[in-house]
Amino acid sequence: MAYEWDWSALWDNLAFLLDGLSLTVLASVVSMAAALVLGLLVALARLSGRWLGAAAQVYIELFRNVPLLVLVLWVFTVLPLLGGFTLSPLMSGTLPLTLKISAFLAEIFRAGITSIATGQTHAALAIGMTRTQVLKRIVLPQAIRRVIPALGSMWVSLFKDTSILSVIGVGELMYQGRIVATDTYRPLEVFTGVAVIYYLLAYPQALGVNWLFAKFQVQE
Amino acid sequence: MQPAGYNWDFSAFFKYLPFLLQGLEVTLLVSLLATCVGLVLGLLVALARLSGFPPLRWVAAFYVDFLRSTPLLIQLVWVFFALPILLGYSLPPLVAAVATLGAYSGAYLAEIFRAGIVSIASGQRHAGLALGMTRTQVMRRIILPQAVVRMLPPIASTLITLIKDSSLVSVISVAELMWAAQSLASVTLRPVEILTGTGLLYVAVAYPLSLGVELVRRRYLAT
Repeated sequence: MAYEWDWSALWDNLAFLLDGLSLTVLASVVSMAAALVLGLLVALARLSGRWLGAAAQVYIELFRNVPLLVLVLWVFTVLPLLGGFTLSPLMSGTLPLTLKISAFLAEIFRAGITSIATGQTHAALAIGMTRTQVLKRIVLPQAIRRVIPALGSMWVSLFKDTSILSVIGVGELMYQGRIVATDTYRPLEVFTGVAVIYYLLAYPQALGVNWLFAKFQVQE
Repeated sequence: MQPAGYNWDFSAFFKYLPFLLQGLEVTLLVSLLATCVGLVLGLLVALARLSGFPPLRWVAAFYVDFLRSTPLLIQLVWVFFALPILLGYSLPPLVAAVATLGAYSGAYLAEIFRAGIVSIASGQRHAGLALGMTRTQVMRRIILPQAVVRMLPPIASTLITLIKDSSLVSVISVAELMWAAQSLASVTLRPVEILTGTGLLYVAVAYPLSLGVELVRRRYLAT
């Protein structure tokens, strides 16, 4: 018995799905922006003195090794109980993403910073620049250039990771897809459509990242 | 009004720890089985991507790109809720989970295999062919044995990632660690301790593994 395809379930609800897509993009952008700042701070902390460095290392290993789903549920159910406050769904969605991505970004930034030859730091200190000046004017501009492709990879994986927010009821693409699939009794067409939407968006981004890797390739 | 401080009470967590550890066993089982599926699939796809027959290359490239460009969650939901409609029978959650995680990791492993194979200098391949070995012999006896050693660390990393990602299969109610934690959290009404403890369990498994992989990589494969 052949299955009768009926794509109208997908077309009729496309606007509803694209509504979800805008939230997917919003959650990705907000998390990435916050994670860039936080990740850089954690990387600098990791490279600084003993206690701060150790604390940063715990942060990095903790958030890199906990599954995102655990983080999402933790922020959603546990944090309000501990803190006595409630977060908006979008806020409790972006916070776990930010925590996870910032831990990965911290390692990327650290690798970038340590890859800049120490001779440059010594030279700059020798001509009388302060440590902050050396970092701001010499090391970071070069380090950030080097890690741009890796940041791109993290962005693409973050974009896909936002789908996990559907579990706590954030109305992004995956969540909207599940609603439409249930409402129309057409999971095959709807989920296939949602997967294709993700692919059409993420694949060009992945190609862009490949281009970045080629463009920013470091030659020592 | 909320109380000023939360009264932590881990007794429920420790009381039901065996239940969580059973879930952890399923997590490890699912991850290992999926890695086995992924290794076989990944090797086949990598060889297809390197084959001389263009349509085979295109199909393999599309497979890799599609599975790497879509979230694991949609793949999981698709295999569990949508695929059975095409097949005409429903899949047990465990089978759907292993199949999806296997297909997903297979796409990443295919790229690891391909990079490993390509990294072996082509001079060796030419030399093997010049000696009268067939292409299959060159691949089996010369290229793959060397490539596999180089691929071991990234393969191990894929397995570790899979242990974390497998928490998603709780969504299709496979009774692994995350599923066990969520049921316990609602039964014991102690989500704070149960979820925190579960997070730490994952860290306790994943962190030593990644540390081990890094050590092995540094000691034996430093280039």
